[in-house]
Amino acid sequence: MTSQAYQEALWNAARTMVRVKNPRRLLKMITRFVVREVGLTHTSILVHDPTYNRYIFVDSKGNFKIPTSLVRLDHDHPLIDWFSRRNSKLRPKDDFLGYADLEQWINHANRDGVNGEYMSRLKRLREAMDTLKASICVPGSFKGELLGVLVLGEKINKQAFTDEEISFFQTLANDASMTIKTARLREDLLERNLELELKQKELKEKLHEIESLRFKEQMTYYQIVSSLAREVYAKDPYTSGHLAHVERLGLMTAEELGYDLQNQRRKDILTASLHLHDVGKIGIPDAILKKPGPLTDDEWKIMRQHPVKGAKILEPLTEFKEVAQIVLYHHERYDGKGYPSGLKGEEIPIESRIISVVDAYHAIVSTRCYRKGRSVEVAINELQKGADTQFDAKVVEAFVRALQNEEAKKKKVQLKAASVQLKH
Amino acid sequence: MLKLLIVDDETEICEFLKSFFEERNYTVAIANSGEQAIEQLKKEKPQVVLLDIKMPGMDGIQTLREIKSKNPKSKVIMVTAIETRDKIEECLRLGADNYITKPLSLEYLENDVKEKIESAAKGN
Repeated sequence: MTSQAYQEALWNAARTMVRVKNPRRLLKMITRFVVREVGLTHTSILVHDPTYNRYIFVDSKGNFKIPTSLVRLDHDHPLIDWFSRRNSKLRPKDDFLGYADLEQWINHANRDGVNGEYMSRLKRLREAMDTLKASICVPGSFKGELLGVLVLGEKINKQAFTDEEISFFQTLANDASMTIKTARLREDLLERNLELELKQKELKEKLHEIESLRFKEQMTYYQIVSSLAREVYAKDPYTSGHLAHVERLGLMTAEELGYDLQNQRRKDILTASLHLHDVGKIGIPDAILKKPGPLTDDEWKIMRQHPVKGAKILEPLTEFKEVAQIVLYHHERYDGKGYPSGLKGEEIPIESRIISVVDAYHAIVSTRCYRKGRSVEVAINELQKGADTQFDAKVVEAFVRALQNEEAKKKKVQLKAASVQLKH
Repeated sequence: MLKLLIVDDETEICEFLKSFFEERNYTVAIANSGEQAIEQLKKEKPQVVLLDIKMPGMDGIQTLREIKSKNPKSKVIMVTAIETRDKIEECLRLGADNYITKPLSLEYLENDVKEKIESAAKGN
């Protein structure tokens, strides 16, 4: 290879390596390239380990291989000491340590009769280079910080290094330092991000845990209340077994009214309210609840407490505050003459207005101890009479439509059953 | 004569330390396993053993126990990348004469070997 072609090859290599961002890969490329292309007996790379402030041989190629991570040089090692204390006024092209130069310095010192600290420093340095079989050592720095040292053996052809070659090594050493430094900064950043992420994840998990505990608690409470509600219905002989029907009619009415049942939360609220509206009756004495005849004024006073008692029972369902409100107002009247608060019109939650209609209907068609249940037609008539006074007319209308739809469906099923029977 | 046995399952490490000590006038034998180390110990009778811990088969701890029961006078320097406190304490309890962690300082290792040989010569 001509000298010019050789130099071009060196600089091309340097340019390629500048683009390598992974320090480990870059260091491997450097040692391999230096040994193979420049023709050195061996080369090793020392890299600063910031944790312990020491330098470790991380890669090595050639006939004198220093095994990876076996040997370290502490910060007071002659070589590290030399590069750490080197004169900052040193011209960049002189920033390396050559064995031949070192010998010359020792000879000059000997000749001039220099002794003491300087001499022993030089001698320790020579010993260190002997141990590492180093011909030249090239420091790699980044902003004045010694990040590594390129330790090079001699050329296989025994010739001295040219200025270009040394300058090439210096480029490699500084490039490697920069790559190491940026990779470390990036790692630090990544590590910090990772820590942050972990903390966030932990927090999220804890929140989730709290939420699920809360949800569990609420579900348990809901179940307890539901069983209370079932008990109420079971106690009251005329409503026994009709809870499911009340729920169905309520949902159908809501649908007719255009209530958004696709919204699961709203649907849950309505269902729970229909289910639990009379739960407060658990606090009403059986003597009143099961009285086989009309109630006295005093008994009515007690009976009328059941919406308030119900709302109290439902208070702990904080995730569904609306349910307690709806239950509280299910005996309000559209004209404002209801109880417990005398709300009127749209002040009354729509769910309460629905329950009011469904509940009344149910009372009319149910058989009581002292009175036989009346027909659907009678019930509809009664409800329509109460529209705009006791009930919201829109709700009555929707309820009647829902009821008729249900009746029509029932008839269809009956007809189908009849036709099936006829066929057989 | 300065006789040294280097025990490490990594050949590269054995070879590197062997040439390092040979250049300093030691006679060096190498072993790549605990089993080989026990054989070499009988054959070469080294004054000092450099012993790795993590090796397949018989590990450094077992080897240390074996050496110290058969040749209590041989000096054993553990040379390992493991630096946990309990491992260090275990080795010292079993009679290891020093515990050096990798990456190591060659100067320190050489001084320590020299010191152990001198102390062996004095019969300690």
